[in-house]
Amino acid sequence: MAQRERGTKERMERESMDRDAVRAVWPGLADPAHDSQRLFRQILGAMSEPGTLATLAVPAPPQTSPSDALGAALWGVVLTLCDLETRVWVAADLDSPALRQALTFHTGARITDDPASADFALLTHDAFDPEMPFALGSDTYPDRGTTLLVAVERLENDSNEARGDNNSWRLSGPGIADSRLLDIGDSPGCRRLMSRLGANRTSFPQGLDMIFGCGARLAAVPRSTRVTRADAKEVN
Amino acid sequence: MYVAVKGGEQAIASAHRWLADRRRGDRERAELEVAQIGDQLRLAVDRVMSEASLYDPELAALAFKQASGDLTEAVFLLRAYRTTLPRLAVSEPLDTAGMRIERRISATYKDIPGGQILGPTYDYTHRLLDFLQLAGAEVPPAETRDDVTDAEPCPQILALLNDEGLVEQAIDDGREPMDITRDPPDYPMGRAARLQMLARGDEGYLLALGYSTQRGYGRNHPFAGEIRQGQVEVEIHVEEWDETICVGEIALSECQMINQFGGSREAAPQFTRGYGLAFGHNERKTMAMALVDRALRAEELGEPISGPAQQAEFVLAHADSVDASGFVSHLKLPHYVDFQSELDLLRRLRREHAARQAELADAHEAVKPPSEES
Amino acid sequence: MDGYNFAYLDEQTKRMIRRALLKAVAIPGYQVPFGGREMPMPYGWGTGGVQLTASILGADDILKVIDQGADDTTNAVSIRHFFQRVAGVETTTATTAANVIQTRHRIPETPLRAGQILVFQVPIPEPLRFIEPSEQETRLMHALEEYGVMHVKLYEDIARYGHIATTYAYPVKVDGRYVMDPSPIPKFDNPKLDGNPALMLFGAGREKRLYAIPPHTRVESLDFEDHPFEIQSWEHACALCGSDHSYLDEVITDDHGGRMFVCSDTDYCQSRRGEVA
Repeated sequence: MAQRERGTKERMERESMDRDAVRAVWPGLADPAHDSQRLFRQILGAMSEPGTLATLAVPAPPQTSPSDALGAALWGVVLTLCDLETRVWVAADLDSPALRQALTFHTGARITDDPASADFALLTHDAFDPEMPFALGSDTYPDRGTTLLVAVERLENDSNEARGDNNSWRLSGPGIADSRLLDIGDSPGCRRLMSRLGANRTSFPQGLDMIFGCGARLAAVPRSTRVTRADAKEVN
Repeated sequence: MYVAVKGGEQAIASAHRWLADRRRGDRERAELEVAQIGDQLRLAVDRVMSEASLYDPELAALAFKQASGDLTEAVFLLRAYRTTLPRLAVSEPLDTAGMRIERRISATYKDIPGGQILGPTYDYTHRLLDFLQLAGAEVPPAETRDDVTDAEPCPQILALLNDEGLVEQAIDDGREPMDITRDPPDYPMGRAARLQMLARGDEGYLLALGYSTQRGYGRNHPFAGEIRQGQVEVEIHVEEWDETICVGEIALSECQMINQFGGSREAAPQFTRGYGLAFGHNERKTMAMALVDRALRAEELGEPISGPAQQAEFVLAHADSVDASGFVSHLKLPHYVDFQSELDLLRRLRREHAARQAELADAHEAVKPPSEES
Repeated sequence: MDGYNFAYLDEQTKRMIRRALLKAVAIPGYQVPFGGREMPMPYGWGTGGVQLTASILGADDILKVIDQGADDTTNAVSIRHFFQRVAGVETTTATTAANVIQTRHRIPETPLRAGQILVFQVPIPEPLRFIEPSEQETRLMHALEEYGVMHVKLYEDIARYGHIATTYAYPVKVDGRYVMDPSPIPKFDNPKLDGNPALMLFGAGREKRLYAIPPHTRVESLDFEDHPFEIQSWEHACALCGSDHSYLDEVITDDHGGRMFVCSDTDYCQSRRGEVA
């Protein structure tokens, strides 16, 4: 009995040191009830009006490789939506023991190696492969799909004209009065992401919903959105 | 002159004060104590705990008092409280074979290992009003037999049948059961979820459905294999110590029904079972539950679905008294906007109907032979 | 309120509802199952709407609650008090001042604006329920986009009465895909669902379903080419504010058949009278 108590005490001390370390580097929400409400309303706004940009006031995660790509906005989404009832899949390029520890400590979320069983997936645009077997939901339960949280190169609405390149995508559908331009970056990964979103309509109501983050900025494109190249002729 | 209804707030406050006054009743008489209710109206308390799915005799007694004895209202009060409670731990599966028995009977054998124990039952009382209770007569204490209260746990009768392979085995497939208090119902529903829904289903509703199976609407030839009541230990596993510890005892009623046998070319004929479990002393509820549980297995056992008690969606979607009483009572809320819509359409349809009738009458008039006019 | 979390629900329940809301918004008109909880008011009295409101409401929000279009009906009063008590939020009766509006049976007459959220209380979320009672079946019908039975039902009305006899909870199709129950609002309000700049959320507590119409979404009321959808109209104007374009309640004024017609939206009526005065 005495031995067990000693063992437990040592373990608790060790764990509390770990906790302090995680807490110092990976910040949580200062006022969980009110902060998560405020963040959720921004996320809900982003999902309701696809392609609109929001800036989340969240403490940023540590700026150490490889996790520096995650950004404050997506970390805020994780803190707001994940808990012990959710399964999270982390792409190799974001994965680190520190991130896993922080996820477990701050949210209690279960980390999974199987993308198809994940409620949320954390990845960067570089890591995105359209063949990844994320859950798309079923025709009877389309909601049972993975929400992708993707760190992208940039998030802008009107860079197309300003920069004279053609990396913008035209969004239309629910949440968009007419149409809206969104530019997430030039990389092949960014193009793969937007093309994949463009394919959502063919499998609707099954599909992938994505939340993009770039630093503290956030935008979302759900499966209901029609996505076409901004320079393409108007397509229905 | 029409005055916009502005009295809502005041009306609600006044109604609450009046209700509290009615609940207290005659101030000349002593106020009911919650402990008295728990002690002397324990079957009401047990029913409230069962249907609220929260084992807390004191709070169930409080709910019963606060509801002025309205069981459905008391169940609702306790259930609404239950949802606000944090989940601290998940218990190990309860072992009813290890029950400290107060009552245990079987209708399938004359004598059973461990014996038949009648316990504190109303079964063989003659239902004659006891006017002495009006006069407040003292009740002599019951004698207790040490060999009953301190008896070793006795085996379950169905386990004895198991040895011969005569009754189907309920096998734990190790899967995490659905939790109906957290997950929305998803039809078709597995047996674990069905049993949870029945366990907190309204007793009157289950009683009627169980009764209907006995009268031929999905008959399943039941025998009361064993009914037991008593105290069962609740254990939790503490990860940190890698040990299982007892956190307390709860009173339970359990009914194991033995039903008509099934079998196929591959499987030898066997009795099947229906199962009922409830908090406290709730024998009627567990028997009705076992009948309905068995009826709901019709599809699984390849039986024709012919009675209401066998229709899973129908039975399960309407079993909960909190759901049912809420939705029935919501008809008391104002519906005048929708009623106005219906009124408007009905008036229009009647106008059109009258116009058509008038047209028909005119046409009829026009073609009438002159001879009939006289 | 002591002993309870902000806005009554615990944070884990709120997160569960919030995750479901995001899926609802992503799949407009689809009913997302959610782990609805018992609330301290009865099922059928707005628990779905209350759970949604509790999950989105913040300390800075200004809340309006209406029932039948009115702020002062008893259940509206009761729900408004609940949120004052458990969340301490500011409340209002002015549609324009509110950013969250919980409603039963009406959409306000004053046009909603971007940024507002309208939360509907829903008794039976399944538009096909009265044609097909089994949940397993209706789920399949939605999956297969098999909505013929709904048109058959509406057409039977036309054959029998010469009109579609559904006057409230009139089914709509959202973004060309899901047939949805708009809750028991009069069909008068259906056109307001189409292309509305506000976000509309629907909560059914007892049935444990929630769904959404994002802003600027195409919402069509089901109809037929030869029997186009039409809304109610009145021969009268509101006896109080003179409005000839709002939904009117009939009020019986004496026991000799005397009656008058007044706006069901009390805030709209009062603000019009204020402007006139």
